[in-house]
Amino acid sequence: MSLPKSRGPSPQPSPRGRGGQSAPNPYCLLAELTYRCPLQCPYCSNPLELNRFRNELGTAVWQRVLGEAARLGVVQVHFTGGEPLVRHDLTDLVRTARQLDLYSHLSTSAIGADHTKLSSLRDVGLDALQIGLQDSRPHENDWLAGAPAFEKKRQAVESAKRLEFPVTLNVVLHRHNLDHVDEVVDLACRWNVDKLELAHVQYGGWAFRNRAALLPTENQVERATEVVADARDRVSDKLEIIHVLPDYFQQFPKACLHGWGRVFLTVAPDGAVLPCQTAREIPGLVFPNVKETSLEEIWFRAPVFQRFRGTNWMPEPCRSCDRREIDFGGCRCQAFLLTGDVAATDPVCHLAPQHGVVEEALKEAANRSTDLQFRVFAS
Amino acid sequence: MKPTHSINRPRLAPGARYHWDEVRQQHQIVFPEGVLILNESAAAIVRLCDGRSTEDVISVLQAQTGEADLSGDVHELLDRLAQKGLLRDSQSPPPPGEG
Repeated sequence: MSLPKSRGPSPQPSPRGRGGQSAPNPYCLLAELTYRCPLQCPYCSNPLELNRFRNELGTAVWQRVLGEAARLGVVQVHFTGGEPLVRHDLTDLVRTARQLDLYSHLSTSAIGADHTKLSSLRDVGLDALQIGLQDSRPHENDWLAGAPAFEKKRQAVESAKRLEFPVTLNVVLHRHNLDHVDEVVDLACRWNVDKLELAHVQYGGWAFRNRAALLPTENQVERATEVVADARDRVSDKLEIIHVLPDYFQQFPKACLHGWGRVFLTVAPDGAVLPCQTAREIPGLVFPNVKETSLEEIWFRAPVFQRFRGTNWMPEPCRSCDRREIDFGGCRCQAFLLTGDVAATDPVCHLAPQHGVVEEALKEAANRSTDLQFRVFAS
Repeated sequence: MKPTHSINRPRLAPGARYHWDEVRQQHQIVFPEGVLILNESAAAIVRLCDGRSTEDVISVLQAQTGEADLSGDVHELLDRLAQKGLLRDSQSPPPPGEG
C-alpha cells in the first residue's frame, strides 16, 4: 500500500501520559495485517525482503493489540498491508475494533472486495474505505498493478457507495501516470467517490529501488499541479481532492507522520511496532514486538520511539529552524537512504547540507530511462 | 454565519460518528482520517442528531437546560457541521433499532 499522508489532529500531551513523559498519546494505529498482496506495484512501501516477514500475528493477538491501542488513546485504526482482505479473520478484527469504539478504515486494492464481503464488513462496523487505483486507464492500471484489477476496483467502488461507505480513491503519482491526472479526477467524479487522494510516490522501499524509472520531470509536476488546482475549483462541491506534492521538487520536507512517535504507530504483520511503516529500512533500530511488550510500554518507553521524538535530536540547520515543529526535520527513512545518516536533515530540504544528492537524483532520472522492477513476494 | 434553517431531520453523515475519548476526556466527531473536537454544548446537540426533527432537538435541549431559546445556537452548529459534510438531512425518521 502507499503511505498514509501526514494529516490529522494536533496531538496534545495527555493527562494520562505516564512517568513524566511529555509524549502525546497516539491517535492512529496502522494495523498492517499482512504483507501478502495480489498486486505488484513497483512503488510499494512494504519492505524489499518481504519473505523475511511471513510469520503473521494470529487473530487473538491482534484483538489484544486493538484493545491496548484503544486504551492508549488511539481513535482511528487503519487495516492495511499488503492486502488485508487476504486475512480470513478481517471481519472478526473489524468487529473487535467497533466494540472498542475505534473508527476503522480498510485500505484495499479492491481484490476480494466483492459486494458480499463489503456488506459483511459494513455489518460488523467498518467505517470507511480507501481503495487504491494505479491509473485512470484500465490497461495502464493493470500493467502497474501487475494484475487485472481495474474492473474489480470499479465494481468495489460501486458496491461501497451502495453500502453508504465513505470512499477515498488513492492514486499514487509518478512519471508513468502523472500526465493522466485530469482523467483521474474525471474518473473519481464519475465513480462518485467522496475523496480523491493524489499522492506522489514516496521514495522508500520498492520505490527507492525504482526511483530512476518513477521520478517525473519538473515539467510534468508543474503541469499536473496546475491541472489539479483547476480541477479542485471545478469539482469542489462534489469531490474533495488532496494533493500531496512530490517532496523531491519541494523547498521543504514533508512533516513525515506529523513527527516521529507523535500521532501514528504501526504494528507490522509479524508484531513489530514501528514509528513509521518504512522504518525497517533504517539499520540499527530495534523494534519491540507486541508479542512480548504492551503498546503503552512501547509507545512511552521504547528507545526507538524516543529516538527522534521532539526536537532535541535535531542537527543544524533543523535545530534552530523556525520550521522545526512544522516539518520535524522531514523523513528519517529518507535521510538514511539518501545520506547514510539517519539523524541528518532530510536532504529534500533546500537548506540541508546534503541537498545536492536530491538534485543529482533528479538530473539522473531526467537523462535516463529505466525499466520498472515489480514487487515480488515469492511463494 | 447566517443560519439557513434548511436541515429538518439532522443525522450524522455516513462515515461520521460521535465518540467519547476517555483518554483525552473529549467529545469528538470522528470521520475518515479526521477528528472534530466538540465542547459540551455542541456534543449535547450532536448526540440528539439521530434523525429526529430539528424542532425536537431544540425542544429537548431547552427542556434539559432550562434555556428559553436555543434555536439560533442549534441551527448555527447544524449548518457548520453540514458544511463540513459531517451532517445530512435524513428524509425519514430513524429506522427502529438504530441510533
